Amino acid sequence: MTAGDLVTAEHLSKWYGQVIGLNDVSVTVPAGITGLLGPNGAGKSTLMKLVTGQLKPSKGSLTVLGEPIWRNPALYRRIGFCPEQDAFYDRMTGLEWVTALVRLNGATDALAGAMAGRALEMVELTDAAHKKIGAYSKGMRQRVKMAQALAHDPDLLILDEPLAGMDPIARRKTIRMIKDWGRAGKGVIVSSHILHEIESMTANILLINQGRILAEGNVHQIRDLIDEHPHTVHVRADQTRALAREFLGHDDVLSLKFEEGAVVVQTGRPDAFYTRLTDLAASGEHGAIHEVTSPDDNLQAVFQYLVKS
Amino acid sequence: MTQPARPAEGAPGLLSSAGRVFDLSLGQMLWSRRSVFLGVLLGGPVLLASALRIAATLYASGLKINGVQAGGSAIFGMMIWLLYLRFIVPVLGVFYGTSLIADEVDDKTITYLFTRPIPRSAVLLGKYFAYLVCTVLLVLPSVMLVFFLVVPTGQGAIAGAFPSLVADLGMLAIGLAAYGAVFALVGTTLRRPLVLGLVFAFGWEPAVLLFPGYLKRLTVAYYLQALVRHEMPQDSAVSMLMQVFREVPTVSTSLLCLAVIVGLTLWLAGRAVEEREYVLEQ
Repeated sequence: MTAGDLVTAEHLSKWYGQVIGLNDVSVTVPAGITGLLGPNGAGKSTLMKLVTGQLKPSKGSLTVLGEPIWRNPALYRRIGFCPEQDAFYDRMTGLEWVTALVRLNGATDALAGAMAGRALEMVELTDAAHKKIGAYSKGMRQRVKMAQALAHDPDLLILDEPLAGMDPIARRKTIRMIKDWGRAGKGVIVSSHILHEIESMTANILLINQGRILAEGNVHQIRDLIDEHPHTVHVRADQTRALAREFLGHDDVLSLKFEEGAVVVQTGRPDAFYTRLTDLAASGEHGAIHEVTSPDDNLQAVFQYLVKS
Repeated sequence: MTQPARPAEGAPGLLSSAGRVFDLSLGQMLWSRRSVFLGVLLGGPVLLASALRIAATLYASGLKINGVQAGGSAIFGMMIWLLYLRFIVPVLGVFYGTSLIADEVDDKTITYLFTRPIPRSAVLLGKYFAYLVCTVLLVLPSVMLVFFLVVPTGQGAIAGAFPSLVADLGMLAIGLAAYGAVFALVGTTLRRPLVLGLVFAFGWEPAVLLFPGYLKRLTVAYYLQALVRHEMPQDSAVSMLMQVFREVPTVSTSLLCLAVIVGLTLWLAGRAVEEREYVLEQ
């Protein structure tokens, strides 16, 4: 752990009765933007709730910005949280709601109003500030949630599925805002089950599934980690059977199967496989090779790959 | 990117935080479906009072109970005790008190309050104050209307009875405070708080009050009845019923006990909220 770490968990576990929400997680979240990735039910929300002090660890320790978070309300002065749930006081206007919440951070009425106004401006909701939240679209509701999280200028912003329901333009603006926030020296932990969203914000990710951290670190490091695992390549070609016979002559090919007009190969040494494949395509020895794709070429596949392993 | 200014350091204290939660909660509570429903319920005594007033106008002899003429003040006193203190106030206490935190949990808005630099007990306290103001605002017009409709019947005088109206309103506020605090504790500590609250208010309390002994001291009604100042008509079923409650503590003892009940139950409820994990359903 270093002084700038946002979150440090050591052997952290959380049980809901007999159900394990998080299982013996030890992880350090460094300064900057970190993406938390995992499918629904992976333990993302449990980890988020522990990190935001809504749940008490069943076992292990957890510190946020260097302090335990459970029953430490003073720490919320430095934390902004945008929860996943679409829940509001619908009868209030956006400005009233954000102002009321900022007042809970100790701001005077006048300051709270000014801070809420600025936060709504940052999420581009100034025009709708005096509208009732009940009349907001899903995207606007997401943005007003963001506004209440960042209005008090927290050191750490924790965002649970912040892009859900946003239109593409709002999504792009929000991603830019989160990146700006990180560039301004603030810590951001953002969760999602959609990898390209996270990839667009940060290269530093945590992969979580079934209550365990599967991998952590830089996207590229995680890709390296993936390379140690079987790698799937989808080859669309004219003579798939001839190609299959050629592939089976090499011990790095672990398995293969046929699909319509294609052969799908699993290899233990992708670099060597791609080199041979390029040579085969150049020679035309087994007919034309039309397309080579790998589900591992995007983060979604990387994630699914690790989750399955 | 323009960064918003940060509030000055130093977390607001418990009461200051509770005040801010109160500001946030009062409007929500006043305009909730629950308030509309209970507002309708509070129209019941007004309808009854209207019927009594019409009957008194049509029949000059006024209202008689077991052949004895009942004055407007006495009827008003009966309504305060039997309708408001023994029925409406506990109902308001049960429905609002048990849901102070539960509503926020059900609506999934509790997260916004519990991730702020204020003690969780301040959330409970602020919502409790909002409950008090909300219920007093609901009860006040109903009682006032009943007073003006009923007291003039049977040769009663509004001017003479007005001081007792003020005392009755104070008593109702004390009742709301006590029942609200008790049911806030029930709501924060027990499962099925609404059912248990109703059992307490309409099962335990009436049953225990009928029997001599110490058990009745484990009710709120026992202390509230000492605050009832109205004289009831004699030789009637109601007066017989009131005889059962003759064993009452002094006003000062009752006020002290009610203050202890409010303070203790709120403190325990606050502790429960501080310790408890609230898992929102996804």
